[in-house]
Amino acid sequence: MKENEKIIVGKTMKKKFLIALLTGFLAFGSLIAAFGFSGTAFALPLGGIGDFYVEFDELNGTNFQLLPHVGETGNSDAEPMVRNKMDEVVITNLHIYKDLELPGIGWVRFHVRSTGPTNITGLIHDARLIEADLSFNNLEIEEKNTSEFSQNWSQNAATIKIKDAKIVTDYLFQTVVSLDGAKISAERIDGPDMTTFPGNGK
Amino acid sequence: MNRKERKERKRQMKQERKFEKVVEGNSFKQWRSRRPFWGATLTILAGLMILYIPLHLYAIAFIPGSLVFVGFIFGGLVLIIGICEYFYPQLSTFFGIATIFLSVLSIMGALGGFLIGTILGIVAGALNIAWDKEEIDLDTWKRNKQQEKIEQVNQAV
Repeated sequence: MKENEKIIVGKTMKKKFLIALLTGFLAFGSLIAAFGFSGTAFALPLGGIGDFYVEFDELNGTNFQLLPHVGETGNSDAEPMVRNKMDEVVITNLHIYKDLELPGIGWVRFHVRSTGPTNITGLIHDARLIEADLSFNNLEIEEKNTSEFSQNWSQNAATIKIKDAKIVTDYLFQTVVSLDGAKISAERIDGPDMTTFPGNGK
Repeated sequence: MNRKERKERKRQMKQERKFEKVVEGNSFKQWRSRRPFWGATLTILAGLMILYIPLHLYAIAFIPGSLVFVGFIFGGLVLIIGICEYFYPQLSTFFGIATIFLSVLSIMGALGGFLIGTILGIVAGALNIAWDKEEIDLDTWKRNKQQEKIEQVNQAV
């Protein structure tokens, strides 16, 4: 090292650090509180945890699109399923649940219930089984001569109404979701929900 | 010697020890001490955590109206800021403020990297804001050290 050289030594000023840290966490807390009060979450993905079940009394959606899809489930890398896309969705009495086997405890079912209306913008939903009463407005079924399976066939509707549904879901994404009167709970159960594809014994 | 003087003396001794460590340390230690190293490293980690969710949702990132795209931008910017901090330490305060701001906003579109990214980003930003440098002339510092040693020997004699 040359003589007469200047050496720079960095230091952290405690007071500045604490003020900045506090300000950061305050901003973080306010944003979380704002989302908490309105019950809104942004870009909520739910997937890769295996089958989970979605039940509701009624769903009203706009710009419905149904596409064939192959996706990953909790037990397999590639399973055939359907992908549903909707722009604006209002659901009444939404109930999502997932069964998990916890070591030492046994089977536990986790519930997410919303007693009020659930508003979703930008819904993408991959399902393996849909059991429900469906009604559509301006239903269009379209086929394309292409080897790309996801574009080969599609079903579109301006509006969709689904009643008394039970859906075996593997992936769920919502750009913005607002759950009114949400309740999250867990309970012990004897065994998991075995709702399966009719006929194939899975 | 009153309490205030004792405190000041303790602070000076601590600083001296730090200078000594840097002067006698290897070149990496000297390079590290010239920039907000830990702040920058934590910022990069926060950026990677924030990018984790958008990268897993890349298939839907470009759908119109999808907030995942915003998550990409927030995570990417935090990562770039972290890298820039290594090269432009003089802008550490600005980088620190930007890191905190982007990390908090990354809750939208990236869930703040499961909130871990946001918390890491806030700590990293605070470290960058609080970072300051002190220049010491090596020649003068060595002379002072020598003088101190002579004084100590004199006192002992």
